[in-house]
Amino acid sequence: MDRLLIVEKIEKRYGRAHVLGAKQEVTALLDVSFSIGRGSTLALVGESGSGKSTLALCIACLERPTSGKIVFNRNEITVLDEKQLREVRPQIQLVFQDPARSLNPRFSALELVSEPLLVQGRLDKREREARARALLGQVGIPQEKALQRAEEFSGGQRQRLAIARALSLEPKLLILDEALSALDCSVQAQIANLLMELQGRLGLTYLFITHDFAMAGHLAHEIAVMEQGRVVEIGAADEVLGTPNQEVTRRLIAAMPRLTAEAHAPRAV
Amino acid sequence: MIQLSGWKRWLLAIVVLHGIVACAGFFAPYDPTEQDREHPYLPPMRIHLVDTQGHFHFRPFFYAEQLRVGSFDQFEEHSQQAIPLRFFVTGARYDLLGLLPFRTHLFGAEASRVYLLGSDAYGRDQLSRILYGGQISLLAGMLGAGLTLLIGVLIGATAGYLGGWRDGLLMRVAELFMALPWLYLLFALRAFLPLSVSPVQAFFLIILVIGAVGWARPARLVRGVVLSARERDFVRAARGFGATDSYLLRRHILPETSSVILTQAAILVPQFVLAEMTLSFLGLGVPEPVPSWGSLLASLQQYSVLVSYWWMYLPALAIVPFFLGYLGLASALQQDAGTEKIVRTAGGSRW
Ligand SMILES: Nc1ncnc2c1ncn2[C@@H]1O[C@H](COP(=O)(O)OP(=O)(O)OP(=O)(O)O)[C@@H](O)[C@H]1O
Ligand SMILES: [Mg+2]
Repeated sequence: MDRLLIVEKIEKRYGRAHVLGAKQEVTALLDVSFSIGRGSTLALVGESGSGKSTLALCIACLERPTSGKIVFNRNEITVLDEKQLREVRPQIQLVFQDPARSLNPRFSALELVSEPLLVQGRLDKREREARARALLGQVGIPQEKALQRAEEFSGGQRQRLAIARALSLEPKLLILDEALSALDCSVQAQIANLLMELQGRLGLTYLFITHDFAMAGHLAHEIAVMEQGRVVEIGAADEVLGTPNQEVTRRLIAAMPRLTAEAHAPRAV
Repeated sequence: MIQLSGWKRWLLAIVVLHGIVACAGFFAPYDPTEQDREHPYLPPMRIHLVDTQGHFHFRPFFYAEQLRVGSFDQFEEHSQQAIPLRFFVTGARYDLLGLLPFRTHLFGAEASRVYLLGSDAYGRDQLSRILYGGQISLLAGMLGAGLTLLIGVLIGATAGYLGGWRDGLLMRVAELFMALPWLYLLFALRAFLPLSVSPVQAFFLIILVIGAVGWARPARLVRGVVLSARERDFVRAARGFGATDSYLLRRHILPETSSVILTQAAILVPQFVLAEMTLSFLGLGVPEPVPSWGSLLASLQQYSVLVSYWWMYLPALAIVPFFLGYLGLASALQQDAGTEKIVRTAGGSRW
C-alpha cells in the first residue's frame, strides 16, 4: 500500500539549561520508526510520558526532531526550511491534547473554526463563515453558540471545536492527540462516525493517539505501542490486541474496561 | 446612577481632570501671558461673603488690593472697594481645544483682576498659568509615554519573538539604557544645541529625550509576555494552519501584551509629566513666556522667591491629583488583569 507518512529513526531531545549551567537533557523520542498507509488509521497507544504528544508535534512540523527523517507524501519534510514548512503544515493537522490551551480564549467559535481558512486565504468572508457554521453543525455545536467565546465552552465542546477547525483545511493527515478522551460516549460515537465517514469519502489518513485500547481497536487498522520514547510494538489492530508481545501492551490491555473491550470488535485491515 | 466598575471609575476621573486642563481657556480667567505691573507677587486673594459691616452677600466678592505705602511687595485690601465675582463673563479671546474661538470664561471680575492663586513677578495670574501650563506638561507626558511604549513594544516584541542571540543583544542594550546617568547626558546633549531654541523645538526635544530614555522597562515587560505567549499552544496551532510570523504577532501574541501596555501607560504618563517638570525646572524645557508646570516652578531657583512667596509652589501641587488618578488606574488595571487570568485558568466554570 502507498505510504503517506514514513517516520525513520527519529530522536527528540529537549535540552534544559540548568540554573548552575549544567545542561540537562530529556530524551522524549528514541529511534522511532513506523509508517502509515494512505487512507488508513494508525492508533498510537502508550502510557503517560511515553512521548506520544512529542511525536505528534514532530510529525506536524511544529517541533524539529533532533535527528532522523520524516517523509510525508513522498517529500522529506525534516530538511525543509521555515518558509517551505508553511506550505506543508496545512496538509498535516494536529488536534492538540488540551483544547483549553490550543484555542485562543479571546476568539469566538466561529472565528476559531474559520481561522485556518482565513490564514490560508481560502474563500471570501461570507463563504468562510458558511463553511465554519457547517463544520460546527457536523461536530454538534449548536448554531446559537457560534459567537460564544472559546473560554465559555465546556471541555468537550472545546475539543469538538478543535476537531472542527483541524478538519476545515481538509488535511491529508489528521493527528488526533487524545481528542476523543474528554467526550462522553454518545458524542464520542458521533465524532468517530464523522471521522470514518470522512475517511471513506475523502480518503483521509489518521494518526490516532490514545491510551484507550478499546477505542484504538474500534477505529484503527494498525496499532503502535510506545514506551519511554520508543515504539515497542506495531502491527495490525487485531494482532496486537489478540496476541500482545510486550509487557506494556498486556498491561494496557488489562487496564481497559472489560465491557467496552467486548463491545468494540477490532476492525479488519 | 450608572455603576462603573474598577478601572473605569479611575479612567473617568482622569478624563475629567484632563478635560479641565484641555479647556484651560474657559476655566482660566485670563490669558497666561497677560501682565499686570501693578500687582507683582500678589498673594492669593481672599474671597468674602460677609463685608466689613457684617452684611451677608449671596454673590462672593473680593476687595481691590494695592501696594502698602513704602513697600514693594506688601499688599493691603481696599475695604471701600468691594468687587463682585462674576460668572460666565466675557473676557480675553481664546481658542477652545485649539479650534473654536471663544470669549466666555467661567468667572472673572470687572473693576479689577482677580487672583485666586496669586500672581507672579510680572503680575500674571498663577491660576491661568497653572491651567495653561498643564496643557504643555500633560501633553509632553502623554506623547512621551506614547513614544516610549511604541519603542518598547517594538523592541520587546522583536526580542521576545526572535529569541536567541538577538534577544540577548537587545536586552543588554536595554540594561545599558537603564544604567546610563541620563540627566548629565542630557546636559551634554543640550550643550550641543543653540543657546535658545523655540518653544516648539524644545517641546519635541523633551518628548524625544523622555521617549528615548524610558523604553527599556516596557520593552523588558513586553518581551517577557511575548516570550511565553510564543510557546502557547494556540500560537502553535495557528502556526500549524500555515500562519506567518506577522499574523501570529498581530492576532495572537500582541493582544496578550495589551494589559501590560495599558498598565505601563498609566504608570508612565505621570512619571513623564514629572520628568518634564524636572527638565523645565532646570531650564532644559519649554522657555518663557510659554508656561509649563516645570517652568512655572523655575522661579523658585531665586532664593528670595523661595522664601517669600509660598504661592509660587502651587504649580507643584497641580500634578498630585493626576498622579493619584493615574496610579489608581494602573493598580485597578493590574488587578483586573489578575482576576481575568484567574477566570481564564479556571476554564469553563465561569457560567
Ligand atoms: N517542551 C518540553 N521540554 C522538555 N521536556 C519535554 C517537553 N515536552 C515533552 N517533554 C518530555 O518528553 C517526555 C514525553 O512527553 P509527551 O508529552 O510526549 O508525553 P505523552 O506520551 O504525550 O504523555 P501524556 O499521555 O501524558 O500526554 C516527557 O518526559 C516530558 O517531560
Ligand atoms: Mg500527550
